[in-house]
Amino acid sequence: MALIEDIRDFLDETGSITKFTGNFFTNGLKPRFEVKELLAQCYSIGYKSLPLIGLTNFIMGLVLTMQLRPSLLKYGVESQLPVMVGIAIVREIGPVIAALIFAGKIASSIGAELGSMKVTEQIDAMEVSGTNPYKYLVATRVLATTLMLPILTILGDAISLIGAYIGVNINSVTSLNLFFAQVFQSLTFSDLLPAIIKTFFFGFAVGMVGCYKGFNSIKGTRGVGISANSAVVLSSVIIFFIDLLAVQFTNVFGLN
Amino acid sequence: MAKQTENNIKLGVFVLVGLLAMMLAFYLIGNNSSMFKSSFILKSRFNNLDGLKEGNNVLFSGMQSGTVKSITIINDTTIEVAMLIDTKIQAFIHSTALAAIGTEGLMGNKVVNIQPAKQIGVAVKDGDFLAPKRFTSMDQMMETLSKTNSNVATISEALKTSVLKLDTSEVLNLLNDKEIGISIKSSLKNINAASNNASNMTATLDMVARQIKQGKGAAGLLLTDTAFEGNLKTSMLKIKAAADNVNKASVQLNSMTANINHDIADGKGPLHAVLRDTAISQKINASITNLQKGSEGFTQIVEALKHNFLVRGYFRRQGKTQKKDSLNKLSSN
Repeated sequence: MALIEDIRDFLDETGSITKFTGNFFTNGLKPRFEVKELLAQCYSIGYKSLPLIGLTNFIMGLVLTMQLRPSLLKYGVESQLPVMVGIAIVREIGPVIAALIFAGKIASSIGAELGSMKVTEQIDAMEVSGTNPYKYLVATRVLATTLMLPILTILGDAISLIGAYIGVNINSVTSLNLFFAQVFQSLTFSDLLPAIIKTFFFGFAVGMVGCYKGFNSIKGTRGVGISANSAVVLSSVIIFFIDLLAVQFTNVFGLN
Repeated sequence: MAKQTENNIKLGVFVLVGLLAMMLAFYLIGNNSSMFKSSFILKSRFNNLDGLKEGNNVLFSGMQSGTVKSITIINDTTIEVAMLIDTKIQAFIHSTALAAIGTEGLMGNKVVNIQPAKQIGVAVKDGDFLAPKRFTSMDQMMETLSKTNSNVATISEALKTSVLKLDTSEVLNLLNDKEIGISIKSSLKNINAASNNASNMTATLDMVARQIKQGKGAAGLLLTDTAFEGNLKTSMLKIKAAADNVNKASVQLNSMTANINHDIADGKGPLHAVLRDTAISQKINASITNLQKGSEGFTQIVEALKHNFLVRGYFRRQGKTQKKDSLNKLSSN
């Protein structure tokens, strides 16, 4: 009986999220737009996340290079290290690491913020005062996450490649010019484009899940913690699902 | 409000940098596939592409100079490849250049190699065709290798039979024969003795040479004695002086004979008289006849004397001594 209950709850939640997401397209994208709030959210979501994502991606590039080196050395293709690292970072590591860190930082903060607003009935008050809380709170945040994550990913990729360059230079010597020539010579549009397109979806998912969890927070201070936590967990899982879908789509379209 | 503006500026910088980075990445990748360079088309027709794809690199003399734009199949044995080539290189590619399909590294991506030909042609134009060059694909290499392999197998089989034959042949018995070993041993001993002799000989030769050096013996004297050399010199000088004298004498003799000749020719002197005057020769003849007669008379006189008692004793003694001498000579012989 409990299993059926769980399945019911799961389906209910899936339906609610879908409805909530649909709401974004029906209500959220209609004028009038909360431009000021959007810019403020972009600042706090995008700009403020750059140091964290930059740091993690830098370390990731460095570590990936140093970890791949012995295997490549074994096959005698150490010179292909920049190529390999470049492809790995641009195609997968950069977007996914950025999205996961982004989910950890932003989904939780959105979930907690909206959750506490819900708990303290600010959202209800907003509705009473004639402001559309969905447009003001949800649409701005979701748009901000959707637009900011790709930029963060691109910058994160660049920082990650610098980390990789340092990683290559720890054990051997290569010039920055040669390193970037090697990286970009091996890259094609089919590497970069799908990677960037999927980050829009990652960002959208992070924003949407954070807002949903916050908006539907249960009463009490415990509810805020739960919504923050579940926002991070769900958005991280969704990121991986989107990643899986993205790689299948690129395969279908022959871009791989 | 000021804070808000500041935040917006920060956001603006962030977004711009991100977008610039994205544009740069796209540009670099696009550059790679010659998307933003001015380029022209070159075509070539192959009968086998060996896995060449659209977007593969085109190298001119090993230099990255373009990409494969499109691949069209013309008929069952002809496939047309259109290549997008950087305009900068256009002036250097001649119409005689050859296009060949190769591989990056041993197992890497396929590439089109444009190789300049030895013959000089005009620079290519947009849409020109390049002649394809036959290339050796991995499959062809494998085919050749398999032929080589079967050859090696045949050779090794033949080698095996040869070795087996050799194993049972008499030549190997020769190697095992003890007598041969013994005779070789004695031969070696002989060689050893001969070499000892040779060594002694060289020692002797060495000694001789040393003696010669030291001036001992005739040869040494000849080669090393300075006094001898002086003697030889004086001797030579003397011989020379003698020769000079002989020369002078012969000159004198020559003049003398010339005088004599002259005298004879002129009819002067006693020689002319002797050699040329017939009257004198008759006289000489008569004198000689007279002398002959005189001597005959003398012989008669001596004979008469022998029979004379006064001197007979002398002749008898003389005959006895002559006999004794002849007997002595016989006995000594």
